[in-house]
Amino acid sequence: MALSSLWARTTGTDRVLIALLVLILLGSLFFTFGRVPGKQLVIYSGEKIVFSGPLVQDRRLDLQGPLGITSIEIAGGRVRVVSSPCPRKICIGMGEAWRSGDLLACVPNRIVVRIEGEDSKGYDLLSR
Amino acid sequence: MISSVAEQQDLAQIRQRVFMALFIALAVGLHTFEALLPNPLPWFRIGLANILALTVLSLYGVRAMWVLTLSRIFIGSLLLGSLFGPGFLLSLAGGVTANLFVTGGALLLRRGVSLIGLSVLGAAGHVCGQLLMAGLVVIQHQSIWFLLPAFLLFALVSGVLNGFAADLLVDHLLPHPAFGACHKRFGQHQEKE
Repeated sequence: MALSSLWARTTGTDRVLIALLVLILLGSLFFTFGRVPGKQLVIYSGEKIVFSGPLVQDRRLDLQGPLGITSIEIAGGRVRVVSSPCPRKICIGMGEAWRSGDLLACVPNRIVVRIEGEDSKGYDLLSR
Repeated sequence: MISSVAEQQDLAQIRQRVFMALFIALAVGLHTFEALLPNPLPWFRIGLANILALTVLSLYGVRAMWVLTLSRIFIGSLLLGSLFGPGFLLSLAGGVTANLFVTGGALLLRRGVSLIGLSVLGAAGHVCGQLLMAGLVVIQHQSIWFLLPAFLLFALVSGVLNGFAADLLVDHLLPHPAFGACHKRFGQHQEKE
């Protein structure tokens, strides 16, 4: 009954609007999940790049932020936050990042990990 | 005894002010209540306070909605202690963009659209505003836009539910004599079954 009442309250314009938004949603879904695995990762602490390297090497990194040390782990071409001093642990909950453009961020500790694709524009040995 | 037309208009204006104060207080209450709810995903919010914004939009028009949303965000954040923090910035950006979307929708589509459509539009605007602000200020990287599908899905569901709740509320309020000067600006009035 509640559902039919909901349907009766929507106008034609409403339904077109909702359908349009569903289309945008599907489009953005494709845009998000149709990406290729990344090749390398770049880590920012605040504004500065503190690390950049390939994803194929498995390793563990401890990153110093304003709150303390955030540990991240690279394994099997995927990156995840292992431990962090932030209060809500959202960064750990973000899971693994591996696609080009993926992002792991610990906002309180100012650490951002970003996955980059094939063309690592601008980041070479000199600018590291 | 109130008789003259001028006095009637005065009365309607005073009524509107009093009810706006009550609606703002209710919206602040809902805003605070929602912040207290345990939430597994910190960035997803239902936006209960927007039910009041939509109600006011339907009863008093676009300006009243702006007044309500901005006061609600400022007072709500003041009460929660997050005023001018990152959470407040996100909230403000979301609220302003949502209101811009709803204002645009209300002015362009007029009576063709109901509160449910406007609510969904506002929810989508809220997501866009928040992600824009998060990308510019908090995370400072545009890959935040990859979160868009998840947020948009949630916004669609909560938008429809909020719009439905607001529509029901308006239908229940309007028959009361205190809202005699008001009419439903968006969508059709549903008679009680």
